[in-house]
Amino acid sequence: MANFFNKLLYHDGRGWWDLPRTQWQDPNPEMEGPFGDGIIPIKKAWDFLTAASYHHGTPLFYVVVGVILSIITIVEVWAFNWLFLGGLLIPLMLVLSLGKFVLVVGFFMHLKFDRKYYAWIFTACMVVGIALFVALLLLLEFGHQVQQ
Amino acid sequence: MAASATYEVKNEYGEVINTSTGLSNKKLLMWAFLGSDVMFFGSFIATFLVYRNRSLVGPYPADVLDIPITSVSTFVLLMSSLAMVLALSYIQQGRQKLGTFWIFSVVVLGAIFLLFQVYEFNHFVHLGLTPRTNLFGTTFFILTGLHGAHVTLGVLWLMFLGFGSLKGTLRADNAIDLELAGLYWHFVDIVWIVIFTVIYLISARDVAPPGSPPFVGH
Repeated sequence: MANFFNKLLYHDGRGWWDLPRTQWQDPNPEMEGPFGDGIIPIKKAWDFLTAASYHHGTPLFYVVVGVILSIITIVEVWAFNWLFLGGLLIPLMLVLSLGKFVLVVGFFMHLKFDRKYYAWIFTACMVVGIALFVALLLLLEFGHQVQQ
Repeated sequence: MAASATYEVKNEYGEVINTSTGLSNKKLLMWAFLGSDVMFFGSFIATFLVYRNRSLVGPYPADVLDIPITSVSTFVLLMSSLAMVLALSYIQQGRQKLGTFWIFSVVVLGAIFLLFQVYEFNHFVHLGLTPRTNLFGTTFFILTGLHGAHVTLGVLWLMFLGFGSLKGTLRADNAIDLELAGLYWHFVDIVWIVIFTVIYLISARDVAPPGSPPFVGH
């Protein structure tokens, strides 16, 4: 069972939460799929779409990502117009938007296939950007209490 | 005298580069720039949210935002990202004509997106929303205007690369130049993904805050 779990969430032979211990100038581990190689049909589909390459995908692979992005956008607009979710609307939109963000950054910008160092730079700046963002929101929310 | 900390390596295009990191200097610079741009746009998006629902006069988002039209322009920009990645893939494979076709497709789709933005800005001004009208107008026009400026720069950059590809100066062995433009273009796309969600989908139903008069139009 543990073996199956590890294979399913394969990430350089360890759990998916454990970043691969490749050198920072090395690319991601070879043929690492989004769901690992625990589910054979998914592994086969991944190998087919990326031509079993860990450097980049094939044109077909990018078209598949483009179709998924379009479907997510349609779901967003559909949910906005026809689902009256109340307080759930914002979390749903953020999750869908995060999905699109990850697909574009990971596959179109090749971060999934590229050297880890680029991912570190981009992620570090994202963390600083989000920290600034949260600080601004907190400042506006609680800043007046500090003044009083 | 200390020995040089740099050494020569071949990048994925076979180009010999002098580096101290083992990475392509051009690409490293581009990622560092994109990282700084994340913080740049992050500040403006945060400012938009900080001032959300704080306009004292209309028009408010619910009075002007048109989700169906913006959905179409969002779709156009997403498809331009797909065209961009296909262009890079074909140029890297040495399939020059297909690569050139997709580069110019990105240019056309980017220009269509800009036309949507021009239409939207013009429409909003006719409805009475300008950068000086209220806090929503100021933050909206600055954020989307800066994004539009980025798109414009990307369209011009890709136009040059498209003509370079036509003339044969952009090839598989120096496709790093197209890859850098591609990174920039995809970044512009992800910024729009966030803007579309934050401004259009999350804020589109915002009306006059309590105590402010509803907008009755001009």
